Amino acid sequence: MSASRFAPAALSAPAVLALGVALLLPLGGIALLSFQGFDFDKGIIPRWDLANYASLATDSLFLEALARTFRIAVIVTVICLAIGVPEAWIIHRMAPRWRGLMLLVVVGPLLVSVVVRTFGWMVLLGGNGLINQGLRALGVPGAPFRMMFTEFAIILGLVHVMVPLVVLAVWASLGRLDPALARAAESLGAGRLTAFRRVVLPNIMPGILAGALMVFCLSASAFATPAMLGGRRLKVVSSMTYTEFLNTLNWPLGAAIAVLLLLAILAVTLLWTRLVERRALRRLGVG
Amino acid sequence: MATASTSDFLVLDGVAKSYGPVQAVHDVSVRVAQGEFLGLLGPSGCGKTTTLQMIAGFEAPSAGQILLEGRALAGIPASKRNIGLVFQSYALFPHMTVAENVAFGLEMRRVPKPERQARVARALDLVHLTHLADRFPRQMSGGQQQRVALARALVIEPRLLLLDEPLSNLDAKLREEMQVELREVQRRVGVTTILVTHDQQEAMALCDRVAVMQGGRIVQIDAPWRAYDAPADPFVADFLGRSNRLLAKLDGGAAEAAGHRFPLPAPLAALRGEVALAIRPERLRILPAGQPGLPGMVHSRVFLGGFWLVRVETPCGDMLVTVQNTGTPPAEEGAAVALDWDAHSLRRLEAVA
Ligand SMILES: Nc1ncnc2c1ncn2[C@@H]1O[C@H](COP(=O)(O)OP(=O)(O)O)[C@@H](O)[C@H]1O
Ligand SMILES: [Mg+2]
Repeated sequence: MSASRFAPAALSAPAVLALGVALLLPLGGIALLSFQGFDFDKGIIPRWDLANYASLATDSLFLEALARTFRIAVIVTVICLAIGVPEAWIIHRMAPRWRGLMLLVVVGPLLVSVVVRTFGWMVLLGGNGLINQGLRALGVPGAPFRMMFTEFAIILGLVHVMVPLVVLAVWASLGRLDPALARAAESLGAGRLTAFRRVVLPNIMPGILAGALMVFCLSASAFATPAMLGGRRLKVVSSMTYTEFLNTLNWPLGAAIAVLLLLAILAVTLLWTRLVERRALRRLGVG
Repeated sequence: MATASTSDFLVLDGVAKSYGPVQAVHDVSVRVAQGEFLGLLGPSGCGKTTTLQMIAGFEAPSAGQILLEGRALAGIPASKRNIGLVFQSYALFPHMTVAENVAFGLEMRRVPKPERQARVARALDLVHLTHLADRFPRQMSGGQQQRVALARALVIEPRLLLLDEPLSNLDAKLREEMQVELREVQRRVGVTTILVTHDQQEAMALCDRVAVMQGGRIVQIDAPWRAYDAPADPFVADFLGRSNRLLAKLDGGAAEAAGHRFPLPAPLAALRGEVALAIRPERLRILPAGQPGLPGMVHSRVFLGGFWLVRVETPCGDMLVTVQNTGTPPAEEGAAVALDWDAHSLRRLEAVA
C-alpha cells in the first residue's frame, strides 16, 4: 500500500526533473537578473531592487509595445477562429478520401520554417512585391500600398502561421463528436447552418477554446514574424526584449521585459481557463 | 399527382445506392401502408441503414425513387421532410436538458412557447419521463435516453418515424420492456414506422410486416409469422429463427433419409430426386429409441427456462430440437433416441443439383 502511494511520484520524477532543469532554471535565472542594475561602462551591477520595473512602468515605448502585442494577439486569435473553425468543420464533412488530403494541405505549412514563410510574405507585401505589382497592373487607384512594416503585415503573417493550430484543435474535438448529432438536428428541421450553430458548435467548444488560448499565447510571445514584418520601429514586447539583450546589452532590463510579458500571458491564461473555459466545460459535463 | 391511397403511403421504387465501387443497396422496392409498422431485417452490412438514410434525406439514391404520400422526395432536404429519426446512438444533444432536446424540433418550427411547453410535456408523458425533464442526457440510463430520443422524434408529429437499431444498446431485459413500450406508443400515436434491426426476435415482436434484406436486396416481405413459417429461401429460413436441414431422396409422395422413410405434405408430393428439406426445431419430437423415426443420439441439452434446446446427432447431420419444459428433463446426453415430425411441418429449401 505505502509503496504504491509513492510510485506515481517516483515514476514522474525523471520528467519533473527534466522539466525543472530545462524550463525553471533558465526562467529563474531571468527572474533574478531582472532585479539587477546596469551601467553602460561597468555592465551588470549586482544589486537587488525594482528599478527596472519602475522605469518600464513609465516607459511609453514599452507600454505602447505591450498594448500592440496584446492588440495583435487578440485580433490574430479572432481571425484564426473565424477561419479555422469553419475550415475544420468543412473538412470534417468531406468524403473520407478528400478529408486526408485536405488535412495535409492545411497542416502542410507547419512543416516549413516560420522564417521561410515570413520571407514569403515579405516578397508578396513589399512596395514592389507581387501584390502591389498586380494591383498596379489592374490600375487600382492609390497603388502601390504600404503594407510591409505595418500591424496589418504582422497580423497577416501570424494568422498564416496559427490557423493550422486552430484547425487541429477543433479537428480533435470533432473526431470525438457523434456524427449523428448534426443529422439529428437536421431531421428535426434545422438547416445546416443552424445545426452547426446550435448543436455542433457548443459541443466542440472545448477544442475551440483550447485552440484560441494556444493561438493567443503563441501570438503574444511570437518573435520572428513580428520582427521581420514589423521592422525596426514597429516593436512588440518580444522583439523589444531581443533588442535589450543583443543591441543595448542591457540584460537586466531585457529580463524585466521578458518577465512582464510572461506574467501578462499567464494572467490572461488563468483568467481564460477560470472564467470562460470552465463555464463551457461545465455545460458539457466534463468540467 | 393524385393523393396516394393509404396502402401506398410510402413507396420505394427500385431504389439503389452505390458508394463508388461498393453497391450498398440494390433495387429495393417496397410499399408501406399508412400506420403500418414495417421492419427492415438483415445481418450487419446488408444496407439497412443506407436505405433508412435515403428515406430520411441524408443520402441520395443512385437510382430509383422514393415517394411519400404520393410525392417524390428527391431534392427535398432532410430538414424539410418532417420525418422523425431515432439513431442507434440516440444522438441526444449533450449540452441540452431532456426538455430542451425534445423542444428542439418545435423551436425549429417556430411553435410559440406556451404550445411548445405543452407539447413537450405531452411527449415526455407519453414515454413516462416527465420527472426527468431537467436532467442532462449523460445523467440518464440507456433506456431513459432511448425514450428521450423517441419523444424528441415524435413531438414534431412526423409523417414517418424511422428507427435505426433503437434497442441494440440495451441489455436483454430492458430491451424486452422497451419493445412492449415502443409497440404501445406506436399504436397510440398511429405513426407509420420503419424499424431497422438485425435482431429477428425484435422484428417479429414489433412489426406488422418484415422485409428481410440480404446483400442490399429485399429477399422477402411478409407478416413475421408467415415469413417464419414459409421462408422464401434458405437464408430467410436461417435468419428468422433456427432451422434444421434434412437432405432426402424423394420418390413421389414419400421420402427417405438415412434409411428412414417418411410421408411428404401435399405441396411436395410431386417432387422427385435429392431435395433439401427444412424443419423448425419446435416441430421435431424426441421419442425413445426403437420407435419409428429418424434414429439419433443426444449430443447435448441446454436448459433455457421455458424450454430445452437439445442437439441430436443423426446420420443426416445434427438436428436441433426444442422441448417444452414440463418439469421433467428430456433424454440425457448420450441417450439413443428417434426423431419424429408431422409431414405438414416440412418445407422445401431448394432442389439440390
Ligand atoms: N458512406 C459510405 N461509404 C462507403 N461505403 C458505405 C458507406 N455507408 C455504407 N457503406 C457500405 O454499404 C454497405 C451497407 O451499409 P449499411 O447500410 O450501414 O448496412 P447495415 O445498416 O445493414 O449494417 C456496407 O457494406 C457498408 O460498408
Ligand atoms: Mg446499420
